[in-house]
Parts: sequence; C-alpha cells; structure tokens
Amino acid sequence: MSSIQLVVFRLGEEEYGIEIGFAQEIIRIPDQITKMPDMPSYIEGLIDLRGKVIPIIDLKKRFGFEQTERSVDNRLLILDLETMLLGIIVDDVSEVIKIENEAIEKLSAEISSLGSNSLQGIARIDERLILVLNALQLKTEVFQK
Amino acid sequence: MITLAGKESCKILAEFLANLIPGGVVFALVEGDTFVWVKASDSFTIETIKIGNKLQDDTTTMQAIREKKVLIQNIPRTVYGKRVSMVSIPVINDNGDAVGAFSIALPKLHPVAAAFGDFAPILAEMFPEGSFIYMSDLTKIAYEQPSKKFDMPSISVGYELSEADIAYQVIKSKQPMMAEVDASKYGVPLAVANYPLFDEDNGEVVATLGIVTPKKTAVTLRKMSHTLENSLSGIAAAIQQLAASATEIYSNEEALNSNIKEITNISEEINEVSAFIKEIADETKILGLNAAIEAARAGDSGRGFGVVAEEIRKLSDQSKSTVPKIKQLTDTIKRKVDEASGKSNRSLDASQSQAAASEEITASIEEITSMSEELSNIAKSL
Repeated sequence: MSSIQLVVFRLGEEEYGIEIGFAQEIIRIPDQITKMPDMPSYIEGLIDLRGKVIPIIDLKKRFGFEQTERSVDNRLLILDLETMLLGIIVDDVSEVIKIENEAIEKLSAEISSLGSNSLQGIARIDERLILVLNALQLKTEVFQK
Repeated sequence: MITLAGKESCKILAEFLANLIPGGVVFALVEGDTFVWVKASDSFTIETIKIGNKLQDDTTTMQAIREKKVLIQNIPRTVYGKRVSMVSIPVINDNGDAVGAFSIALPKLHPVAAAFGDFAPILAEMFPEGSFIYMSDLTKIAYEQPSKKFDMPSISVGYELSEADIAYQVIKSKQPMMAEVDASKYGVPLAVANYPLFDEDNGEVVATLGIVTPKKTAVTLRKMSHTLENSLSGIAAAIQQLAASATEIYSNEEALNSNIKEITNISEEINEVSAFIKEIADETKILGLNAAIEAARAGDSGRGFGVVAEEIRKLSDQSKSTVPKIKQLTDTIKRKVDEASGKSNRSLDASQSQAAASEEITASIEEITSMSEELSNIAKSL
C-alpha cells in the first residue's frame, strides 16, 4: 500500500492538502511584497527569498473566496513547481500528514468539470475532509488568463 | 397694789386662771420673804418657786415689796433655767406697809416659739420628702415636729446642742445657716436650714428655728447623673476607638486597592509573556513543518529527521495549547481582582460612612454629656 504525505493548510474554514514533494518551505508573510503593475488582483507581488525572486498569489482570492482579514497566523507556503517557485498565502499551515492513496477519493468528472480542475480529490481523515490540490494543475490554472 | 383682804380673792381667781393662760403661768403669794402659797399651771412650773422657799433680796418680788410698787421684769434664763416675765404686786396692810407680794411668773416666749405648735405640723408636711422642724433655745432642743414621711428619732426635746450642731453654730454666729449632711450621720442625706431668733426687746439671740429635709431624691439624682457622665465618657472613648479603627480600615483598603491594581498589572504582564510563548510556539511550528518538508524531500535518508520534525511540531502544539490556558487563568485573575476591587471599594465607602456616623454619635454624646452636667448642677441645687 503506497501512501503520500500532505502539507495541510487552511483557507477560511476549509482544509487543503498539497503533496509534500511540491512544498519547499513555510515562512511568515514578509513585510515587503513588491507589487507589479497591471496584474490580476490575486497576484500579490514579488518577494526576494534568499536571492530568488518568487511571485506571490493570494490563493483565497484566486479561488473566489470573499476576502478575509489577514492575521498573524497567515503563512506563505513556498511551492516548488518543477520549473518555478510560487508563494501562496494561506490561513495557517496546520500539519504534515501521511495518508494512504486509497483514502483519497477522486471527484466525479461532472463535479470537477464545473470548477477548478486543480482539485485532485478529497482525503477523509476521521471527521475531517481535506481538499487535495494538484500542485502542477494549480500552476497551470494560476497562470492562465 | 393688793390689800390683805384682797389677797384671798386673788388666790381664788388664780386657781381658775392657772390652766387657762396659753403657755402656762405660776402664781405665788409671798409673806415677808417666804413663799406661802403657790399655784402653777400644768404646763409650766418653776422649781424654786414653792411653799417655804425664801426669796433673795435682789428678786423682782423683794424689790417690789421694798419700793411698794408693781414691778414687771424680764428674768433671764440664768435665774430659773427659762426666760420668765415676772409681775410682782405688793400686798399692803392696813398701815400701808408692804408685807408681802402677789407674784405672777409667765414664761417669756418668742412669738415663733409660741406659734410653733400651730405652724410646725402644717409646714412639716409641705415638703415632698417630708421634713423635721425644730426649735432650740441656747443650749438644747425645745420643740420638735416630725412629719409623716420623715422623723429624726435621735433628736428630741432636751437634746443638748454640741459644737457639731448647726443650731449651735447659728447661735454663735447670729447668722442663718444652710448646710448639707451626708448619709453617714443620719442614714439619709439631709439639708438643714437654721435661722436665729432674736429677743424682741434687746435683740439678743434667744432661740433658733431649724428645718431638716431629707435629700434622697436630689442625692440619687446626683449619683445618677454622675454615673451617666461616667458611662458617657466610656462611650465617647469607645467611639473614638471605633473612629480610629475606621480610619485604619480606610487606609488598609486604600493599600489593598493599590495592591489590586498591581495584581492587574502583573496579570497583564503575564499575558504579554504568554503572547511571547505563542510566538515562540508559532515559530517552532513553522520550524517543525519545514523540517518535515525537508525530511520528505530527502526521501528515505530523511526519515529519522522526519521523526524529530514531528516531535518538534508536537512540542509547539503543546506550548501553544498553554497559551489559552494561561489566558483563561489571567482572565480569572482579572475577574476576581475586579470583584475584590469592587468589594474593597464598597468597604471603603462603608468605612467612610462609619466614620461619619461615629462623628454624629460623638456630637450627640457631647450634647448628652452637657445635659448630664446640667442635670448634675440642678441636682446640686435641689
């Protein structure tokens, strides 16, 4: 039985998971984020992380959440998406968990066709439902106009 | 003057009159220098006037016989032991020689003494606690009148005055005197007023009139007002103590209030510390997560590191979970402290009103004290 490890974070009340292999690190939201002109509102700007320029997106905005206040618990999750690094602003990163592949239910094609196809499936752990994101799909979605 | 023939008529008349004259009388017939016939009233006699006794040359009677005229003389107390008015009428024989005399001795009484029996019984009853009225001559008690409520059994007619007696002092000083006698002498406290009585003719002191009234009520009143004063001063002292402790309570409460404020500040400091703990826990958590990510990226070789990462994360969870607990505790502290502060403020108010009340009581007591002093003065003047 193969298993995967998920980095679990929250967006609003919901918990999301992303495969740990795509995560590079978690940091606090830096004080300085360089804004870029003429960009979609979910693009926060750019930061410099140890010499690397990384674009930052507000994932909640991108997912169409109503904007919530930023708090001290907000974190920046830096993703390593093969060709690039991407920072996503999330409401708190809660844990790293290991789950069996079987515990992830695929969404039916009808439902995934309605919305974002970056949603890979739903992991059920006890009473919790964790929306598992496909990191590469997320990259494609974020950078398509 | 009386003739020898007339003397028999005089004797008959005297027999009738003897007991009719108020105050009494002694009639006597003298032949030569000897009493030959004597008639005294029941209430008044003179020892030396009796049949067979001879008269001295200097007596009124002998003088009247010598001078052959009627003589009226006041005889001082030294002669017969009492004051007497002597009337001597010479008896003349047929030759016009004085051979004897008819003498009438009347007790000489001061008008007050004469009226004593009339006024004293009435007056004696006129005092609320009764009274004892007496008259003395120059040496002893001559009349006494007790009342229903009060008597002085140790003082009776014939009692010899001594230097300690007020009547004695009045006779000496010729001045009215008022004095108080404490209960040690007669069993009850007394007020004694004594007035000298003077002879109508020569102005000499001849007697005294005294009124003794018991002063039980006044003395009781005085004792009560004294007791009242004592207890009042006791109360005043107690209240002073009370006021002092109210002041102490007040300052204690003030100190308590400032202590409470300090506690509030300390619990705020604790909150700051706990915020710092939260920050560290957050940091540790990020550290743990990053370590887990790093371990996962290292693959199999990172497995051991992954365990450490997990432990770090658990540690951070644990530290973070203390934060709300601390918050809960500091909130409880704050609430309790607020309660304590409220209570202490209330007792501060209470101690203030206590101080005010004790001031009021002190004022009232001062008023009562001055009233009791007044009462004491009144009692002294009764």
